[in-house]
Amino acid sequence: MTKSPDNLLPLTPAVFHILLALADGELHGYAIMQDVAWQTNDALQLGPGTLYGCLKRMLAAGLVVESNKRPEPSEDDERRRYYRATPLGQRTVRAEAERLAGAVTAARSKRLFDVKAEGKA
Amino acid sequence: MTKWISRIYSMFLYAYPREFRLEYGREMELMFRDRCRELERRNDRWKMLSFFAQSTADWITTIFRERSAPQRGFAAEWAVSILIYLFATTTLVQAYVIPTGSMEGNLRVGDHLLVDRAVYADPGAFGRHILPYRDVKRGDIIVFTAPADPRETLVKRVIGLPGDRIRLENKQVIRNGHRLIEPYTQHVSPATDSYRDYFPAPPDAYVSTGGLDMLQHHVTNGEVIVPPGSLFAMGDNRDNSLDSRYWGFVPRQSVLGKPLIVYWSFDAPTADLEEWTARHVFDVMEHFFSRTRWERTLLVPKTQEAIEGEAR
Repeated sequence: MTKSPDNLLPLTPAVFHILLALADGELHGYAIMQDVAWQTNDALQLGPGTLYGCLKRMLAAGLVVESNKRPEPSEDDERRRYYRATPLGQRTVRAEAERLAGAVTAARSKRLFDVKAEGKA
Repeated sequence: MTKWISRIYSMFLYAYPREFRLEYGREMELMFRDRCRELERRNDRWKMLSFFAQSTADWITTIFRERSAPQRGFAAEWAVSILIYLFATTTLVQAYVIPTGSMEGNLRVGDHLLVDRAVYADPGAFGRHILPYRDVKRGDIIVFTAPADPRETLVKRVIGLPGDRIRLENKQVIRNGHRLIEPYTQHVSPATDSYRDYFPAPPDAYVSTGGLDMLQHHVTNGEVIVPPGSLFAMGDNRDNSLDSRYWGFVPRQSVLGKPLIVYWSFDAPTADLEEWTARHVFDVMEHFFSRTRWERTLLVPKTQEAIEGEAR
């Protein structure tokens, strides 16, 4: 039996952006923080406590796993841990992205974006 | 600096629940250190300041979040958090404000500092692995209890260590027979003074009991010899500084620490900085933006070694 992502939605912004950061591959904590800052144009700066608090809960929910790969041991600090999204994590981030896309469509149908464009013009 | 701050950060992690800290503490420390390094490389003080503010907020919210799950020893764990906070703010760092201009040129009247109290306090064989520690060096800026008045805290620069021979000749320090070139000093008066600038000549101004004791018992061949367990310290603003020349040596035990960082510099008169009066509070509220010296925020006062010139 495969778990469904449905009862995990909606995700908190931190969890969503962490999963999004892990969509391209495995990363360590600091790289996750940098990727999230990049995705959100610096609007979301994850502190160490928030990030590892989220990762702890995401590990428990089976959204991510610790990776045993240690890329480039010469350059890298070997004590550093890498994280990877599980298949459930990948399905969940996709479902959440679809949910958000739906929300954007709804916003568009209510002409929220048009109003903004008119305001600027 | 990154090393020091990361160590402080690792102490703050003890406020988290034990399992959480053991599992992720090391990682959080690495992440914090990486971020510090990156900001240090970029040399962006504002980013640095906002990062510290964010980290504090992150620390507090994480304590609440990780503690919100009911668990054993709830009250005890909270007590630990509070103790860590008190320990960090009293034993490791202390706030201090520069009231007078004796270090002008490097530290200005109204500079609010954090003092690193851990650096000169030997934490013992075990603690040395956790806390940064080193002994006082020549050229260090030190914060210490005034030898003449224990209620007063002073900040000066270390010129002589135990065994050093010190004298002044026409405003220049001669240490162990070498004329010192001191790039950190400032002179405001072209006139010379027969005591201040030719120390240890017969005094022409008020010299405290400690100063007289130094002149009577520790002068050999026209030079002061710093006794064991003592330091000779002077202000960088040499012509306008009441220092070891006037009140004698600083006992090593009186040293509280060294300035770590200027967190706020506000242009205010000496009297206001010594005590918070209602008038000063209004003054700060009214002129906070215009009289804060923004360019001094997050300045790090540095140890500066004098260059030893020709032998005399």
